[in-house]
Amino acid sequence: MQVFNLNSVKPLNNDDMECKTLHKDLIFYLDNEVSNQKRIEIEEHLAKCVDCRSFLSFLKEGMQIIEKEKNPEVSPFFYTRLSARLEEKPEYQVQSQWARLAQPAFFSIILLLGIYGGSRLGSNASFPKVNQPATSSIQMLNDFEAEPIESFLLGEL
Amino acid sequence: MDESELIKGIQQGDNKAFRLLVETYQRMVVNTCFGIVHNTADAEDLAQDVFLEIFRTAENFRGDSKISTWLYRIATNRSLNFVRNNKRKRFFQSIEETFTGGRNRNSEISENRNDQPDQNITDQQRSDLLHRAIDRLPEKQRTAFTLNKYEELPYQQIAEVMEISLASVESLIHRAKKNLQEQLYECYKKKCV
Ligand SMILES: [Zn+2]
Repeated sequence: MQVFNLNSVKPLNNDDMECKTLHKDLIFYLDNEVSNQKRIEIEEHLAKCVDCRSFLSFLKEGMQIIEKEKNPEVSPFFYTRLSARLEEKPEYQVQSQWARLAQPAFFSIILLLGIYGGSRLGSNASFPKVNQPATSSIQMLNDFEAEPIESFLLGEL
Repeated sequence: MDESELIKGIQQGDNKAFRLLVETYQRMVVNTCFGIVHNTADAEDLAQDVFLEIFRTAENFRGDSKISTWLYRIATNRSLNFVRNNKRKRFFQSIEETFTGGRNRNSEISENRNDQPDQNITDQQRSDLLHRAIDRLPEKQRTAFTLNKYEELPYQQIAEVMEISLASVESLIHRAKKNLQEQLYECYKKKCV
């Protein structure tokens, strides 16, 4: 069955198929990672197909960016800055010690205020459905944590 | 000074040994970070964090791998973290923008342009495209690809850095290239550059 179909549409489909198969290997062709046999096939196709040639040069120029940009010049003050940061260390620790005390105090106050506010609200409420919006927003935050959703949204930027 | 002497010196808090380590490996660490974050200033900041971490945790270094392997591991982990945090930040920024209608993006782009003043627009667009494509690779593919393409590491050393098998490295890099090619082809078809 399939053989007959293939034969009947051969003139139109063959080149297309060849292009598609070829596209999958061009990046490996550029990196010299194809067999000799494959290399010959690719070069024969490239000789007769403008579109694949044009994509190949697009791909090549794109990948060449790496060669152009890699090993950027490192600032001559790299070590000077680094050693300054090394000496910063004690000061930073003092600060973080302060933060270690201040943060729990701050959150305790928030928590106490929350409990107080909650009990006030609770005493005024007539039924227990007050909880619902809170849980759904927690659900939403959990969704943001999920990488696929996040990258899906970011993919559009 | 060989590697074990260097490490011993750093473990004893010898600043000269630390300076030697930094000067020997700074190009390598900055370049590795750069391959993942695509920005020189950020790459240098991250490289500094890498060396600070080395200085502070030197006593944990077991000496059963090369210093470079250790540095590559910390550099790639920190850079991936940086990109992850940035992504999150930009995600919330974009939410904010949709609410406030504000657009800070133009200034962001021109800042990037100033970073590399001698490049023409086409090259800039090409590199933006490539960076976007690399950023979309799954993290393991991105790590293996960066170490291979930016640092030209052989697969065996990539396997040591990532603590995976040689076959996994081969497959990660193969898939990374395929993915990049597909993304570039999509762009080529749509004439997105
Ligand atoms: Zn073709």
